Amino acid sequence: MWTKQVSDMIFQGVLETLYMTGLATLFGYVLGLPLGIVLAITDKNGICPNRFIYRVLDIIANILRSIPFLILLILLIPFTRLLVGQSYGSSATVVPLVVAATPFIARMIEGSIKEVDYGVIEAAKSMGASTYKIITKVLLVEARTSIAVGVTIAIGTILGYSAMAGTVGGGGLGDIAVRYGYYRYEEDIMMITVILLVVLVQIFQFVGMKFANKMNHK
Amino acid sequence: MAQIELKNVTKGFDDITALDNISLKIEQGEIFGIIGMSGAGKSTLVRCLNYLEKPTSGEVVIEGEQFSLLSERELRDRRKNIAMIFQHFNLLMQRTVLDNVAFPLLIQGVSKRDARKKAREYLKEVGLSEKEKSYPSKLSGGQKQRVAIARALASNPHILLCDEATSALDPQTTASILELLKDINTRYGITIVMITHQMEVIQKICDKVAIIEKGKLAEEGTVLDVFKAPKSAAGQRLILGDGLNEAKELKELPEESRLRVVFETNSTYEPVIANMILYLGEPVNILHANTRDVNGTAKGEMILGVSEKQKELIKQYLQERNLTVSEVSCDVDKTSE
Repeated sequence: MWTKQVSDMIFQGVLETLYMTGLATLFGYVLGLPLGIVLAITDKNGICPNRFIYRVLDIIANILRSIPFLILLILLIPFTRLLVGQSYGSSATVVPLVVAATPFIARMIEGSIKEVDYGVIEAAKSMGASTYKIITKVLLVEARTSIAVGVTIAIGTILGYSAMAGTVGGGGLGDIAVRYGYYRYEEDIMMITVILLVVLVQIFQFVGMKFANKMNHK
Repeated sequence: MAQIELKNVTKGFDDITALDNISLKIEQGEIFGIIGMSGAGKSTLVRCLNYLEKPTSGEVVIEGEQFSLLSERELRDRRKNIAMIFQHFNLLMQRTVLDNVAFPLLIQGVSKRDARKKAREYLKEVGLSEKEKSYPSKLSGGQKQRVAIARALASNPHILLCDEATSALDPQTTASILELLKDINTRYGITIVMITHQMEVIQKICDKVAIIEKGKLAEEGTVLDVFKAPKSAAGQRLILGDGLNEAKELKELPEESRLRVVFETNSTYEPVIANMILYLGEPVNILHANTRDVNGTAKGEMILGVSEKQKELIKQYLQERNLTVSEVSCDVDKTSE
């Protein structure tokens, strides 16, 4: 069974998985980072509390996070079709991945920012720093290690989600695992994809943590 | 006109009154101490000076400007003239020492290059040039506070607010930080407002002191006057401190009054107490004696246990020799409750 065809397919699967994970993480942060910042600063102990904005974002984030990813995948099919033109394949999978990852990322950013010592924020305020300067020059800089750890966690989670998308024709390693292992009982191919997924997560985790520790000066 | 003026400042949080109708004047170039027990409201008070806390009522006037009339933007601009240092230093942990000092300048829009150049000068002022590439986590408490002071100086402030700046430091480090602050005060003419619960800090470098208790101004005056004769119960407790406790332990002595005598440097040449005993022909009990450094001059204090009938005579005798004598009650703690 170990033909060039199979190894090409698995190689292709790895690339697709990396493509989906990378793109979804990127867009997830493009949306989740500002959202997380807004959540952190509008909370009642934040630097510009705003009950209304916080409540609205809080509820949206909670709703999105409580929908199981598999269901979200199906619910979003019309939306995905509208954006990408089709509802299967790795590019299409990026859409539900981003939708699922954004609130998750926003929550992690919120948590990271809230860890910043209030004394440092107060010091910046006493120097006459504006809210914008406090966000860009204090909060994001002081929280960067925690944010980097968050990125590592996000990549692992998104990678896992992308494999789940395999059940509905999402492409990547998960797709191969489902098609060969579940539908055709070719468990050896399934095992290889699973091992590859594990190895990928390990690599991301290892590199991510190394990177995070390196930039921490606390 | 006073550089800093508080007019009937009151600040309430929900159901507690942190500051109750406080009026104070602080002159340009002074080192002004604000002392009180924890929870007295002094931290809130100092935050009213840069309007990080907005008073519920009353006015804060700094250099002739009524802060309540300023917009957020104007306030931020004024804060550049009012630097602040903190008990826990509040340095940016993820920036080097140099970049911490350059930080206020960066916020003001100075280029990174110029900000760092200026920061180096101030680091030199506080004697930490060789640490510029270190991160704050690698520094000792005293070094961190020096960095914080350099950072405060970087924006060329007119006023420096110190919020319990020495409370997290050991006595030796405290002394060196106080020396640095005094030096900054004389060299740059920066007005310093010191918030503390340590009387030693006030005695060491402050010109004037205000005592805050339960959100109210208990008393105010030059450090020397308040030290010699504290009028309020809070003042007595702060100044007498240990001496009072020592005197209290000897409470079983019947019918005795306790007199506190303060000696100036020039009065220490004459053996006053010995002469007094010879003159009166009656012994007195020395319950406590201490020497303190007040504004750089040594001040002696003594608490005497004297009999009720000799009290007035002794008082008169000592006052004739220009000593400050006041009667202390052992129950100041209770009377103020």
